[in-house]
Amino acid sequence: MTNIFNYKIINFLIILILGLQIFIYFYNQNSLTKNFSQKNITVENFSSIVLSKSGITKIGSEKLNKIDDNKIFLEGKSYLENKEYKIYGNNISINLNKEISSSEEPVKVINSMGTLNAKGFKNLDYDGKIIFFGEVEFVTNN
Amino acid sequence: MVKLFFSGRLNLSLIIKIFYLSFFVIFFSTANSESYVKAGESLIWDSENQSYTANGSVEFKNDKFVAFSDKMIANYIKQNDEEIFTIVELFENVLIEFKDEIFRGNYAIYTRDDNIIKLTGNVSIESPTRLLTGNELIADIDNNKRILNSANKESLVEVLLENNADN
Repeated sequence: MTNIFNYKIINFLIILILGLQIFIYFYNQNSLTKNFSQKNITVENFSSIVLSKSGITKIGSEKLNKIDDNKIFLEGKSYLENKEYKIYGNNISINLNKEISSSEEPVKVINSMGTLNAKGFKNLDYDGKIIFFGEVEFVTNN
Repeated sequence: MVKLFFSGRLNLSLIIKIFYLSFFVIFFSTANSESYVKAGESLIWDSENQSYTANGSVEFKNDKFVAFSDKMIANYIKQNDEEIFTIVELFENVLIEFKDEIFRGNYAIYTRDDNIIKLTGNVSIESPTRLLTGNELIADIDNNKRILNSANKESLVEVLLENNADN
């Protein structure tokens, strides 16, 4: 009678362990698939060049976060430089496909007319326009 | 020896005065010559159409005058790797300070080539001694000429201010 009872307990434990293993197996499989589809990449002290409508733009930051194939996020002190302007700011988002970069943090821009300070910006590179938000001060060489 | 000491101190004092005087002259001449555009809401740089559009409590200053308005569109050209404003348009609640004169209007356009400011819509020109109002004002800065036009005689008003009224 005791032996039968022991066998039942052992069988129950074996089934429970197998059940846990199946749960862990499926749980791990799901998370792995999700991670691979996001393809998150982070690079520190990053600099590179991007070819867009306005020509070659040099970009750089303390930390680069690649969100997907078209979107990158320049974390910390960041910059965008090309033949027309130099933009120095923080936490700049770039959509490579739409050729748009933006930031909601203070930004300093130097171009051939002067030096500009604003509270944020949105650079519509495909349209040749940069919109500066908030209080803007543009000291010109005129 | 005493004479030399005092003459030395005098010279040193003179040198310090000259130094401070030079410093202030350089500082103020630099500060006054500064040109800028300030905007309270936004500034759009359109490199394709070569213009800057400023919105919200706009302040524009160049070597000639200071202007205030609600909106400004400034066109520029590229000259020797530098961008220079050629035409500046000011919209709504326009106020321009030029030396001791104040021009007011609903719209103003300044052209750099001929240094002429043209204001329209309920314009006024205020100097320390008089106030003139009309519909259109053309201020020729280089030739120091002011032409004030009105739709009819009744709309042209001249007001002598207190300083001149006493005379």
